[in-house]
Amino acid sequence: MKRPALLDDPKRELWLAWYATIGFYSLYTVVFFIITRTQPPGKPWYSPNQVVGWFAGRHEDLLIGFALIFILGGLSATSIALITYSIRRMTVSRAFAYSYLILYAVSAVPGFLFICVAMTVGAFRPDRNPEILRWIYDLGFLSFSGTMGVFLIGSLIWMLAILLDKNRVFPVWFGYLNLCNGLTEVVVAPSWIFHAGVFAWNGVIAWWINVAVFGLYTGAFILLLRNMILREDFGTGPMPDLPPEEGRGHMLAEFMAP
Amino acid sequence: MTTTERDVSRASGEGSSGHVPGGRDIWFFVLFESLVFTSYFCVYLFNRTQHEQAFLLGQSHLLLWLGVLETIVLLSSSWAVARCVQHARAGRFERARREAFLTAGFGLVFLILKIVEWVRLIHMGDTFTSSQFFQYYFFLTAIHCVHLLVGFVVLGVLVYQLSGEKRRSQVTVETCATYWHSVDFFWVLIFALLYVVR
Repeated sequence: MKRPALLDDPKRELWLAWYATIGFYSLYTVVFFIITRTQPPGKPWYSPNQVVGWFAGRHEDLLIGFALIFILGGLSATSIALITYSIRRMTVSRAFAYSYLILYAVSAVPGFLFICVAMTVGAFRPDRNPEILRWIYDLGFLSFSGTMGVFLIGSLIWMLAILLDKNRVFPVWFGYLNLCNGLTEVVVAPSWIFHAGVFAWNGVIAWWINVAVFGLYTGAFILLLRNMILREDFGTGPMPDLPPEEGRGHMLAEFMAP
Repeated sequence: MTTTERDVSRASGEGSSGHVPGGRDIWFFVLFESLVFTSYFCVYLFNRTQHEQAFLLGQSHLLLWLGVLETIVLLSSSWAVARCVQHARAGRFERARREAFLTAGFGLVFLILKIVEWVRLIHMGDTFTSSQFFQYYFFLTAIHCVHLLVGFVVLGVLVYQLSGEKRRSQVTVETCATYWHSVDFFWVLIFALLYVVR
């Protein structure tokens, strides 16, 4: 029986990590936007009794959705590993890669775990005092929407590494996109203050515009990580261009070339 | 052709038809940030049409002359950074460096004027939470100031580039100048929306 070619591909682990990254972001989108409907976030101005109704209306959905995250959320490590790998391939100090790795090792807590824990507690304890449930509801959404410092610094570290790199691992425009993403992370801070309006945790500026930028940023880096794997030659010098059969005739591929 | 010669050739547009100052990457940043700011402006203008009288009342607390002064100062900084690029193109790096410092000086004056304006408004009771207009006012001016602070780092890179003979890259000089012009560009739009449109 012929041995599958993939098993002998020296990039097989990189591809495994890349497909796991796709799997994680798909799971994240499905759980938060479809199963639990915790994104877009609930209303910040809800009274305690409305919060009780909010939990009751999605009791099973919260338990099933966040159980999936508790089991599979660790897949988020694969994208962090690939990004750290990409920084190690650059002509910059290893301190950049280590800083990024350590920062993002804790990013899952404000990034999604805190809201999962808070909402699961709320769903499992529906008989609690409504005031306590509202406190848990606030804690969940504020920890999710209002704590972006880790991502701000992470974006700036990645940006700096890309701008200093001479191996052309990532295109320079993506370095600047990191800055754009970092700057929108600052904008969520007012969500701690406001209970309604464009700066509240579900507001047009604090949430919708921010998510649009983050979505574009995430889509771009997933595609660029794929290009990096295709271009990887396991050397130490400048990375070769995208193989012609992968890039030919695609305007997007040409634009995304470093 | 050496890297520096190629840089100068690219920067001055010689032998290339589609060249943009600083290269296409920084223009991607300018375009993307323009879209983000445009979305903020759309939200502001939509809310303004819903509460026109309240916004007019808030606007009446601003000093138009102070906004004009801030705009003149920031436009002067852009003029200085444009001269910096011209000097660098002509190989007059010491003069280019002086213009870069002048740019930073104007930027610093703008920042001081902005802080003075914020303190004055807060003493008058106009804070981030006092009214819808001042929510937008403080948000837009603060996010612009964050861009300005990043601009000081960019000017630091510019001075560093101009200071070392081996480091001088015209593309980098123009990239830094383009970033600074974008800070100026965003301010002109913010000034028009917050101070002028009544």
